[in-house]
Amino acid sequence: MSNHQPASIATIPEFLAHALELEYESAERYRELAGNLAVHNNPEIAELFDYLSRMSDLHAQEVEARAQGIVLPQIPPWDFKWAAGGSPEANAAAQDDDLNYLMTPIQALHLALHNEIRGRDFYAQVAAGSPDAEVRQLAAEMVEEENEHAALLEDRLAKIDPTRAEPVEDLDPPNMPE
Amino acid sequence: MEAATSTPALKAKDYKSDINPIWCPGCGDFGVLAAMSKAAAYLQLPKERLAMVSGIGCSSRLPAYIDSYGFHGIHGRSLAIAAGLKAARPDLTVVVSGGDGDGFSIGGNHFLHACRRNMDLTYIVMDNEVYGMTKGQASPTTQPDWTRSKLTPRGTGVRRFQPTALALAAGASFIARGFTGDPSDLTRLIVQAIQHPGFAFLHVLSPCQTYQPEQKDWKHLVHPNAAEATDDPVEAARRIQMDDGMSLGLLYAQELPSWQPPHLSSATLPEIEAEFQL
Repeated sequence: MSNHQPASIATIPEFLAHALELEYESAERYRELAGNLAVHNNPEIAELFDYLSRMSDLHAQEVEARAQGIVLPQIPPWDFKWAAGGSPEANAAAQDDDLNYLMTPIQALHLALHNEIRGRDFYAQVAAGSPDAEVRQLAAEMVEEENEHAALLEDRLAKIDPTRAEPVEDLDPPNMPE
Repeated sequence: MEAATSTPALKAKDYKSDINPIWCPGCGDFGVLAAMSKAAAYLQLPKERLAMVSGIGCSSRLPAYIDSYGFHGIHGRSLAIAAGLKAARPDLTVVVSGGDGDGFSIGGNHFLHACRRNMDLTYIVMDNEVYGMTKGQASPTTQPDWTRSKLTPRGTGVRRFQPTALALAAGASFIARGFTGDPSDLTRLIVQAIQHPGFAFLHVLSPCQTYQPEQKDWKHLVHPNAAEATDDPVEAARRIQMDDGMSLGLLYAQELPSWQPPHLSSATLPEIEAEFQL
């Protein structure tokens, strides 16, 4: 698995390029999941993922505003300094073990929370280890923002009926082995 | 590897069509879709010069989800279709996709001769060791003791097909393995495969969450190749024989003569149409 060192991010343009890519990929992955769950007739979770994609779009716009007037480097997809596997908030397969067509709001929000924590950890590594003080400061601000996003998700989780933790049983599942 | 342009005009999402994938949520094939769209954006491939060709199966739905020309073909015949397309239109970037059943069973013979012909094609095989679209039967790469299907209640009892060994023996000039759980490196491999001037075989481990749930553990089992890629087929063969099937990266690449028909037809479209008039 590809494994880079976020702490080696050394300039503001490089850092903002990473932050933008993180949010773009997050939005795209949630949009993909929203469409996929809609196809699989789970409109409640499709709507939730759609909401999360719009949140990531908003976060991307915030980063774009910060990057106004700064020339960002063009980084090949495999050279982003993600800690493991891929973009922290959009790992397409490796972290999505709970994904299924019957998934519940609790499972979906746990997935989103997991993603936010991975995003926060990425920024925390930059904040702790970048050789540039300005990058460390900006990364620390992003850690706080990711913590706020995580807190919002935790609030939302707390308001859901806990009996909805497990998917309902499908008495006529579409994917029985034959 | 240098970035293709300083300000890419097309982003990865621009290469995705507006059709929602019907793959199971959590399917590994989403990783290939993401990597393919990123690779196309990195290379800034003009959409009108990119052709995605596939056979039949879950993974063969890929052309529908990429915003380019596409041909969702018939079972096992994707390479034959792609070879014909490339022969007629060598200017196109032709990427072929499919699964282990489509590519190694019914399409096995086409696979061997596509390797031997070494046309400038990229062949991405999403291997989940099962026929998923038909609800879970053993494929050529299924473990011999896999008993989950009613068709093979005691397992197939047959040794598995070895895609990389066959590709090398048949003459493929580029052999690599990727994993959908590592989309960054998978993107790099797809870029390298497209840039390779010949038949590039990319074996992708793509977990099936539905019929092979144990494959969720692949993310703990994969590992990088122990050595850099080689251009020596003897050394490549030695490494393949020692391979545990979970090593990732470019294994073998060599520039070999690529077959392309020497003369294109000089007939015009109206002349061809006239030949078919009743």
